[in-house]
Amino acid sequence: MSEFLFELNMLDSLLLLSAVTVAIAILCRVEYISGGVVTLLYLAQLVVVGMMISAGGVFSSHLTPQLFGYELGWLLDGLGLYFTLITVGSALLATLYMAGEWGRRYREQGKSFRALQSLLALNVFTMQLLLASSDLLSLFISWELASWAAFALMALSGGKGLKAALHYMIYAFSGAMLVFAVVAWIATTAVTAAYQLDINGAGILQFSSVAELMQQGIFTIPEQLLMLTLLLIGFGIKMGLLPFHLWQAPAYALSIGPAGAFLGAISSRLGLFAIIVVLFKIFGSITDGSILQSSFGFEFASVTPKTLLAWIAVATIIFPTFVAMRQNDARHLLAWHGIGQGGYMLLGLVMMDSLGSAGGLLHVFNHATYQAALFLAVTSVIYRTGTADLNRLGGLVVRMPLSFMTLLIGIIGLAGLPPMNGFVSKWLVYRSLLDQGELLLFVGAVIGTLGTILSVYKLIHNMFLGSLRKEHEEVREVSWSMLTPMLILSALILLTGLFPGIPLQWVAQGLSAVGLPVAEFNLGGVMADGGSLDMVIVSMVLFSGFGVAALIFYFVGGKSKRVNPLDNYAGGHFLYASNRYHYSNNFYAGLMHLIKPWYKNTFQRLERVVVTLLELTAESLSRLYMRPHSNQLALIIVVLLLW
Amino acid sequence: MDTQIFTEISLSEILVELLLMPVIAFLVGLVMVLWMRKIGARVQRRIGPPLFQPLYDVVKLFGKKTQVSHGVVHDIGIVMAMGGYIAAETLLPVPGMNGIAVYGGIITLTYLMMIPSLGLALGVGQCANPNGSIGISRALTAMLAYDIPFVIIVFGVAFHHETTNLVEIITQQQQAGIASWGAVQNPLLALAGLATLQGMLGKQPFEIYIAPAEIATGPMVEMSGKYLGGLFVMQAFQLYTAAVLYVSLFLGGGESWFELLAKSFVVVSIPMMIAFVFPRYRTEDLVRLFWKWPVMIGLLGVAFVG
Amino acid sequence: MSNYLVLLVILPLLGAFLMQPLSQLLGSKQAGRKILQNFGRAVIAVTLTITYIVATEGEGVLQLPLSLLMGGFVVPVGINLYLDQFSLLWLVAIQVSLLILWPASRDIRQHLLLLVVAASSMGMALSGDLFNIYVFYELLAVATFGLVAQAPHPAAAVVSFRYLLLSAFGSVLALAGIAIIYSQSGSLNLAHLSAFVVNGETQFPLAAFLLLLVGFGVKAELFGVNGWVPEVYGVVSSRMSALLAGVISKIAVVVIVRIMLLLFPYPEASQALLVLGILGMVGGEWVAWHTAQRGGKLSTTLAYSSIGQLGMIFVAFSFSLTLGLFVGVALALHHLIVKSGLFMLSSAQLNRWQLGLFVLFGLSLIGVPPLPGFWIKLAMLQDLWATGGGLEQLAIALFLLATVVEASYLSKIISTQMVSPQFKSAKLGGNSEERRNLNLAWLYGILLFGAIFFINPLAETLHGIAVQTEDGELLRSVVLENSIDPLAGGEQ
Repeated sequence: MSEFLFELNMLDSLLLLSAVTVAIAILCRVEYISGGVVTLLYLAQLVVVGMMISAGGVFSSHLTPQLFGYELGWLLDGLGLYFTLITVGSALLATLYMAGEWGRRYREQGKSFRALQSLLALNVFTMQLLLASSDLLSLFISWELASWAAFALMALSGGKGLKAALHYMIYAFSGAMLVFAVVAWIATTAVTAAYQLDINGAGILQFSSVAELMQQGIFTIPEQLLMLTLLLIGFGIKMGLLPFHLWQAPAYALSIGPAGAFLGAISSRLGLFAIIVVLFKIFGSITDGSILQSSFGFEFASVTPKTLLAWIAVATIIFPTFVAMRQNDARHLLAWHGIGQGGYMLLGLVMMDSLGSAGGLLHVFNHATYQAALFLAVTSVIYRTGTADLNRLGGLVVRMPLSFMTLLIGIIGLAGLPPMNGFVSKWLVYRSLLDQGELLLFVGAVIGTLGTILSVYKLIHNMFLGSLRKEHEEVREVSWSMLTPMLILSALILLTGLFPGIPLQWVAQGLSAVGLPVAEFNLGGVMADGGSLDMVIVSMVLFSGFGVAALIFYFVGGKSKRVNPLDNYAGGHFLYASNRYHYSNNFYAGLMHLIKPWYKNTFQRLERVVVTLLELTAESLSRLYMRPHSNQLALIIVVLLLW
Repeated sequence: MDTQIFTEISLSEILVELLLMPVIAFLVGLVMVLWMRKIGARVQRRIGPPLFQPLYDVVKLFGKKTQVSHGVVHDIGIVMAMGGYIAAETLLPVPGMNGIAVYGGIITLTYLMMIPSLGLALGVGQCANPNGSIGISRALTAMLAYDIPFVIIVFGVAFHHETTNLVEIITQQQQAGIASWGAVQNPLLALAGLATLQGMLGKQPFEIYIAPAEIATGPMVEMSGKYLGGLFVMQAFQLYTAAVLYVSLFLGGGESWFELLAKSFVVVSIPMMIAFVFPRYRTEDLVRLFWKWPVMIGLLGVAFVG
Repeated sequence: MSNYLVLLVILPLLGAFLMQPLSQLLGSKQAGRKILQNFGRAVIAVTLTITYIVATEGEGVLQLPLSLLMGGFVVPVGINLYLDQFSLLWLVAIQVSLLILWPASRDIRQHLLLLVVAASSMGMALSGDLFNIYVFYELLAVATFGLVAQAPHPAAAVVSFRYLLLSAFGSVLALAGIAIIYSQSGSLNLAHLSAFVVNGETQFPLAAFLLLLVGFGVKAELFGVNGWVPEVYGVVSSRMSALLAGVISKIAVVVIVRIMLLLFPYPEASQALLVLGILGMVGGEWVAWHTAQRGGKLSTTLAYSSIGQLGMIFVAFSFSLTLGLFVGVALALHHLIVKSGLFMLSSAQLNRWQLGLFVLFGLSLIGVPPLPGFWIKLAMLQDLWATGGGLEQLAIALFLLATVVEASYLSKIISTQMVSPQFKSAKLGGNSEERRNLNLAWLYGILLFGAIFFINPLAETLHGIAVQTEDGELLRSVVLENSIDPLAGGEQ
């Protein structure tokens, strides 16, 4: 046993630490301590991950159980490390948020803080298992575990949240069954093929072995295409790709505050991780002859899977963004944007060149930072005011300035404007689309960005700007325990926007782990033929510009006098607090008037069709059983059979 | 493809450029404001304001005794509106000064130009006047409308020149005289660009976001004194940037300041002359219009990009 | 030693017959009543010991297979009992389940009938010839009619009567099938018949198989003859449901499988099984979903669910490769544990912990790793893929879809339970019987959870069982060693 302990390398230590975190979260009954202890444990995990990233290379676990004739194993390479970093970081910040006052009020409301902490820790643990999987079976097992852990976390909020979680579960489980079918298929065929190819039978499901199988042509092209489709659908459901995205927004929006931040930041990106593994590690899509780049169809009208995927990604960018524009609940708005941003990630990766794939992968990190920041800021507002309804808020900037600042930085990041980090990843994706001459995809991606700008402005305007409501006069800023993670995230967004080279190093490690081309990144961005980007310089110039403008504004102009917004009159009347003088409802009236007929709820109708078909079959079958003449039926069946 | 020429310039030169470019932009912008008002006057059979009127306006506004602020964000918004353009000017290469254009190409410039609008939106939001908020919502909607053909144009130009580096684009256009201008090689794109320019400048018939009689000038309703002065400065920058950008993309830039300025003033005249002839479009009609004609022309233009 | 096999059948029967006079004798006194309550269990405990002794022949290691020819009569005349790993597994399953699920009622008629059930089901598992199987099957049916009729539900008598009709219909069909086989071969001994088949002399017609299948399939909840299932499970007590669904249905399946392996080893038979299995699977799961959607009783939903699961078991068994047997047995065992546990939990409103247990069972049912259900499903899918063929691929798709439907209705049930006020407290509710049921569920839960850690050894054991079962040669050699030469002199 002591021998075993000495053999622990960093991956094992990480997994062990994670398991210990789960155990402590479950067992620690003293709830006001457990928050702090668990936070420290996440910090420890983050340190370990940081050490692994700086050490570089690949870490494989000593845990290699042989189950059912297959050898399972766990292995963290650059790609897995990148995602693990984001996972542990998000968990750390979410736990930090709920360690203090938020947690206290949660417990006072009679809810189980322990359950929340335990489920969050369980989620982190299962996600780490998933990210470190090195063969199909361990991938699938940890995929299932992570899906169910996420379900449990979502279901914790009860009521509508539980319904949304159940909706998620059906989608996720169906996806898992599709993946399961493919895994079993490969396993069955692989075992016989293993003898031919002289590969270790027990390790046949390792990614490298499966890739070998594909290359050797053990499966025909139509079979490979079918497998790829099933796997992409199965994993794409978790990621929220169209048309399987309907579950995501309500499930994330209605989950408990900090849990929603965690889920929105990283949970669905696991689907992207799995898709990357499938596309690049198993199907080797980088090479020109790979299935992703071969065209199918007729002579005059053919399409490559790559193009199809790119279009699905763009559709995922555009549609959810415009649905987000219509939302009146802040969390729903953010959750819909979360779906849309996933499209950018896939789009960049599918382009498969050095800039695009870097942009797509970097966007995972960027999105996690600002999605977490935004969700936490909105949670703070809910904490103080009790509502997230955008038509019932307003003017909170004077009462909650730091939350406002966090939200502002978050939405600038979400919209992808300089100097925030979101701009860098979007720039990389745009450059890649430009280089490959994909005009329509480019326009689609930009439409998404523009829609995002509109939508997030509505968010910040209805929540923080405008006139303060009478009932919110006494609202104060949230306490430091809740502010700290928000401020950390804001600083992170700014810093990684200023020095994108830092996260780009991690991205580079991830890309090289799957064999994608890597560009030369410097601290400020990238020097590429055909146009470069240096965020250090651009941001410095931008801030200097602000500085100069501030100088002009404050010193050249006269001294300004602060005036209460109510000190005004309109339409011949003075303004009173009881009479709201604020425009928030139906914020984009003109635009909505134009595009409202375009919201046809197509996807919801499609979903409805599937469910109705099922209900129809079930109803007719049940009539079979309700009939009191089952004997006659049996007779008929027997006669038919004997025939 | 050529790489950037930054190695030949020293740090002090860059700093000088970073200072000079916004100043020049501001001054030229003021003159453009005057130019526009003069044209408007002539169309309406008036004489128009005297030569230094825009400067007098700015000085007057900044020098007012009563400066009403509605909060910190109100101030910051105006600072952002001005500061964003000050920074954007350094990305726009002009004869003799490239600034930091090589460190962020046309995409960065496009995005930097959105920051002032965002700043303005934030500042107006804090004013807590619904007229302002309505104005901003319309302005953002209009941005959604004209930015799509704009993006198509940017794509087309960048794809044609195989670079997003503006210096490179200008250099390529100056290689063979008029024949290599963007307007000649991609006339459809240039045409779409003109329509986009009209929208960007917020000139009639696309000034629904101001709508003076309807929503009391929209975003500007609570702006006075130096706040309005800041917006004035922003307008000057906006005119300059839009015009010079169009010239750089389609009319071969300027090998000398005189050439650049001449072309810019011609470009700026076009929207002005159209502006006073049309009534105002409603928001949804605006959106529908931009999403139909300029987009189609732009797409056709890109299809022909060689 | 192997002679003691017959005790496994006789002792419970004897015990059943003795119960009535014993109750007259002892019923008046307090201590006497206590003896009567535990008499049945004691008998089963004794038979379990005997099972152990016979199986190991006193040497601690399994000495299987064994064959017993009663009265020294040679094959094909006379009754033949055959014990191999497969039957041993089911013998143990029956007895252990009975021990666990033995009702605590005062009504000795229940105890009596359960002893008859024990005897007949063990007899079915042990029987080596067709007519014996038939006799025990009928005995089992009669005992279950009685048990169903005794259920504390107003509709019990009617339901029992309908069940009886359907079962009688099935019995007639089975008898017809047996008659066909006898007329073709003149023998009823399974080993003897399989020898005919292997030698290529006779191929028993598909019609015979179908008749036998449908006949015995009544108990096995086969599609077409399972109309009784929702009704019966709706009226009987939870323990009876657990017994019926968990154990008794499996015995019927086991019998069908044995017959198919030995007498009908050709693809049409397997295909018939596959088709009926698919139909049962789809029908069961879909209607379970429908019932849950409409907020029907939990026991009804579970009844349809067990139809669905048995359909899956049929699908698994329809491939008589070793892998198919392995999957079928594993699936059957898994269902036994999980369904019994679920029925135990259906007795009353659940509190948090019990609901967690329900979730555990549900997750294993739909196959979430690392629970045993997942491994079984993996093996099942591999089995189906390996066989190839369009029907098998359809089976895969429907199987996976059925799993999703399962997940849907199970989660509906769980969320409905979560809304009830009972859920919040950790206290136990319901009367003592219900509470005991809920505690029994924990037993099954521990069994299931423990199985996670022994996946590999369990898999090996089951694999061994499957290999031995498939080995028809072994059966023939063991049974026929003392008999007349089956090829010479057998009158047709």
